[in-house]
Amino acid sequence: MSFFGFDTTLPRDRAPQGGQRGIFDTPDPFAEVIRSKAEAHHDDDDVLDFEDTYDGLGNQLTDEQDAFNDDTFGDVETAPVGKDFDFFGKTAQVSEVIGEEQVRYNLNNPQAPVAPVTETETTTVASNTVLQQPRRTGYEKYHDPGYIPDLQAKSSVWNMSSKVDPAFQAMSQARKMMSLEEVEAQLRGQGIAPMPSGPQMLLAQQAPEPPHPFQRPQQLHTLPDGFGQLPPEYLQAQFARGVPPHLLHPQTMAPEPFLPPAHTPSIPLHLLQNPNGPPPPPPPHMGPPQHQAVPPRGQHQQQQHPQQPPQQHNRGSSAQLPLITNPQQLMNLTEEQRVVYLMEDAKRAKRNHKIFLLSRGNGLMTPQDKNFITRIQLQQLVAAAGNVADNDSETVLAEDFYYQVYSQIRGAPRQHPHQPLGHFAQTYLLQTGNRVGGHGSRKNAQSGDNHMQRMQQQVQRAVEAAKAKPKNKQLIIEGSLGKISFGNAKAPKPSLNIKRPESSEGGKATKKPQTDLSLSDRKSILTNIEGVYNTLMELEDMERTMPPPPDENDPEAIQNHMEWRQNVRSLNQKLWLALKVMEPIVPNSNTPHPFIAFLSYPKGKKAIPRIFRHIDQEQRVTILTMIVVHLDTLDVVRRAHSVPGETQPSLAVREAIDLFSQAVLPSLLGYVSEAPFNIIIGLLGLVIAQTHVPFVAKTRIGLGILTMLLSRAEIVKEAGQASERDWQQWVEKFNVLFDTLEPTFGDIFPNSINTGDDMYVWQFLAATGIGASPEQQQRLVIAVKDRVMETVSHSKTLPADMASQRLGNVNLFMRAIGLDVELLG
Amino acid sequence: MADSDDAGTSSVSEPLDLVRLSLDEVVFVKLRGDRELKGRLHAYDSHCNLVLGDVEETIYVVEEDENEQETVRTIKKQEEMLFVRGDSVVLISPQA
Repeated sequence: MSFFGFDTTLPRDRAPQGGQRGIFDTPDPFAEVIRSKAEAHHDDDDVLDFEDTYDGLGNQLTDEQDAFNDDTFGDVETAPVGKDFDFFGKTAQVSEVIGEEQVRYNLNNPQAPVAPVTETETTTVASNTVLQQPRRTGYEKYHDPGYIPDLQAKSSVWNMSSKVDPAFQAMSQARKMMSLEEVEAQLRGQGIAPMPSGPQMLLAQQAPEPPHPFQRPQQLHTLPDGFGQLPPEYLQAQFARGVPPHLLHPQTMAPEPFLPPAHTPSIPLHLLQNPNGPPPPPPPHMGPPQHQAVPPRGQHQQQQHPQQPPQQHNRGSSAQLPLITNPQQLMNLTEEQRVVYLMEDAKRAKRNHKIFLLSRGNGLMTPQDKNFITRIQLQQLVAAAGNVADNDSETVLAEDFYYQVYSQIRGAPRQHPHQPLGHFAQTYLLQTGNRVGGHGSRKNAQSGDNHMQRMQQQVQRAVEAAKAKPKNKQLIIEGSLGKISFGNAKAPKPSLNIKRPESSEGGKATKKPQTDLSLSDRKSILTNIEGVYNTLMELEDMERTMPPPPDENDPEAIQNHMEWRQNVRSLNQKLWLALKVMEPIVPNSNTPHPFIAFLSYPKGKKAIPRIFRHIDQEQRVTILTMIVVHLDTLDVVRRAHSVPGETQPSLAVREAIDLFSQAVLPSLLGYVSEAPFNIIIGLLGLVIAQTHVPFVAKTRIGLGILTMLLSRAEIVKEAGQASERDWQQWVEKFNVLFDTLEPTFGDIFPNSINTGDDMYVWQFLAATGIGASPEQQQRLVIAVKDRVMETVSHSKTLPADMASQRLGNVNLFMRAIGLDVELLG
Repeated sequence: MADSDDAGTSSVSEPLDLVRLSLDEVVFVKLRGDRELKGRLHAYDSHCNLVLGDVEETIYVVEEDENEQETVRTIKKQEEMLFVRGDSVVLISPQA
C-alpha cells in the first residue's frame, strides 16, 4: 500500500495479489500494449528493469546545497502542507453525489450503448453455477434480447471500493487468498439462504481451487469502464444447459440497485480496512446495479480459464485484462493474439473513457427542464428582437395605409382593424399559455404536447419578430475603419448625408422672407398645399389614435385625453397657418391671395372638406368670408367666362368648376345652413361691396354661393328666427343686389339653350324670387321671360324625360314666384 | 399624398420632395426608349415608380426611307391609368 493507495508493484509482480488494491488500480491498457510489444522483442518478460531505465541523475545531486531548500520550497517542518492539493479529499466529499448521479443515469438510460460482445461462449460451466444461482443476479437485463448493458461512469477513480462487498472483504482479509469462486459462493449463500457465510462453509461447499490471479474484487465491484456486467455468452451457456429462464432471472429486471441487506451492516469494518480515506459509503440504494452480477462473471472466467484457449479473451471485457498480467497466462497466448488483444483492449478503454466524458451530464435535466430552458431562451430572443407588437399598428398604417382606411370605411374583415396580426398572434399565444396553466390535473399528461406546441409557437414568433425587426442600418466590422450601410426598398441607402437646412437658424432666416415674397409662386403654392396635407394627415392620425372618452375616476386616462387634445389644438394651429387664410389681403395686387391660390389647385379644392372637419366654426366662417370676398378672383369664377366664339369654357375649367361645386360648396353650405343670420347678412354685404357682382353672377360658382346665402336667409325668415332689425338689414342688402343684377338677369344663363345644365340658374332665380317683393318678382319675370319661353319651347323638341327635367328646372323658379310652367301652356 | 412621414411640413429636403409638389398635377415624364408621357401624377415612390392618370404617351420612332433619309415618326397613345416603372424614368417635369 502506498500513499493514495497506489499500487506500487510492477505489473509482473501484481498477479498473485489478492483483493487489496488501491484506488487507481484500473489496468492501464496502454502499458500492456507496450509491454506486449516489448515482449515481442525480448524473450523474457522482464522488460522494464529499473537499472536499465534509470539514468542516474539522482546520484549527481549534491547534498551540500540542500541548505536553502527551505527557502525555496518553504519550511516543511513548521508550516502545514495545506489542502491545496487534496484532490482526493475533495473528490471524496462529492462521491455521494457521484454515486447518485450514477444511479440516476442508470435509471434514465437503461439502454446506454456499450461495446457489442461478439464472440459466442463455449459451454464449459461448472454445474454449481446453476445450483447456486443468486436470487437476483443483476443479469436480468440480459433477458431482454435487445438489451445493451448499462454504461457506467468511470467511478473507479473515486475509489468506490466502499461498495466492495464488505463481507467478502472481511473474508479475504481473514484468508489472504481466496478464489473468486469462493467469493461468489459466499455471495450466493447470502442471496439464496441466510447461511452462515464463513469461509469454512464456503470451502466445504466448493472444491477449493488454487488462488486465482485475476481476482480483483474492487475492480469488479466498481466496474470502471462500464463492462461490469456479465457478457451474454454466459447466459447463452446457461440456456444451453437447459436452465429455465425464471431460474436465471427469478425476478424481472429491477433497476433498483439495492444491496442485499446482509451486506450493509459491515460497512464500518470496511472503513477500518481502508484507512487511506475512502469516501463515505453511499447510501445502500445508491450502489450500482451490477454488484451482484460480478461474482458469477468472475466464476465464469475462472472456470473457463484452464480449458479455454486464449482467444476467448478477445471478448470485450476489461475485467479480463488481469488475465494478461499473469505471465503464465500470457505464455499461453501466441504473440499475435496477445498483441491483438491488447490493442483492442486499449481501443475499448479509450472509447469508454470518451463515452464517459460525453455522458457525464446525462440525465441531469428532464425533457421538461430542457423545454423550459429553451422557452426562456426563445422568449428572450423575442424580447430582444424588439417590441414588435407595440409599434405594429403604426407600422401597419404606414405600410398599408389605404387598405387600413378602406377596411375601416367598408367595415373591416377583422374585428379590430387596428389590431395587427402580430398582436393577434400574441393573444393567441397568451391564451394557449393560460389554457395550459389552467389544466392542472391533466397538465402532466399533456405537458409533452404542450411543450412542443409552445416551442413551435415561440419559434414562429421569433422568426416573425426577426422578420419584422428593421435590420441594422449599418454594419461596422470590428477593427475596420469604415461602415457598411444597407438600404432597402423602404429606406434606401443614403448616398449623401446632408443636414436639413431647418436644423440651423440661418436656413430659417433666409427661408422666411422667401415664403413671404413669393407666396403666389406656383412652387410655393404647391408647397403650401403639401404642408396642409401633411398637417391634415397628422390630424387624421390623431383622430384615429383618439383615446377613449376619459373616465372621471381614471386620472391617467384624463391625462392622456388632455395631452391628446393639446396635440390636436397645436396641429389645428399648424393647419391654420399652413392654409394662410389670415395672410393680409393686398387690394388691387396682381397676385391672388395665398388661400385663393391654394383653392385654384384641384388638390387644394379637394382638401377643403377634410379641412372643415378639423376646424372650428370661427375658422370656417373665416374661410367662407375669404372665399366670398375673393369671389371674383376665384379661378372657377375668373376663368369660367367663356371665351367669345366658344360655347362653353375649356374642359379643364369645367372640371375645376365641377370639382369646386362637389368639394368646396358642400362644405360651405354645411356651415351656411347653420350660420347665424347676421353672418349671412354680412357675407351678402361683402359680395356686394367687394366683388363685381354681375361678373360673379355670370358664373355657376358665383351664383351657387349667392343662392346659398339667399336661401339661408329665406329659411331663417320662414323659421321666424330673424329679428326685425336684422331682417331690415337683409332687405336693404337684397335690394341692392337685386338692383345690381336686374340688368344682367338675362345674361346669367349659359350661352346656349342647348347646353342643358342651367338648373343652378333657375335655382338662383327661385331663391331670388322667394325673397323678392312682389314688385321685384314682377321685374324678375319680365327679365327672364324670354328664357323661360325659350326653354319651354325647346323642351318640346326633346325626349320626354329630358323635357320634363328642363321644365322642372324652370318650374323651380316659376313656383317660387307663385306660377307654374303649365300656365304657360 | 401617401407620404405622411415627412414631419417638416413645407420643407424641401430631397429631390423627390419636388416631385411631391406635382402630385395630382399634370406632369411631363421622359422615359428611356424615346418615349414621353404627359399625365396627372397620382403617386410615386423613391424609385420613381409613377402612377399617372389620363396619360398621353408619345413614342418617337426613327425610320429610314428609301433615300436613307431618317425621319422621325411619332406614335401617340392615350391611357386612362398607367404604372411606370421607375428604372425607365429619365425626367419628371411639372407641366405648368
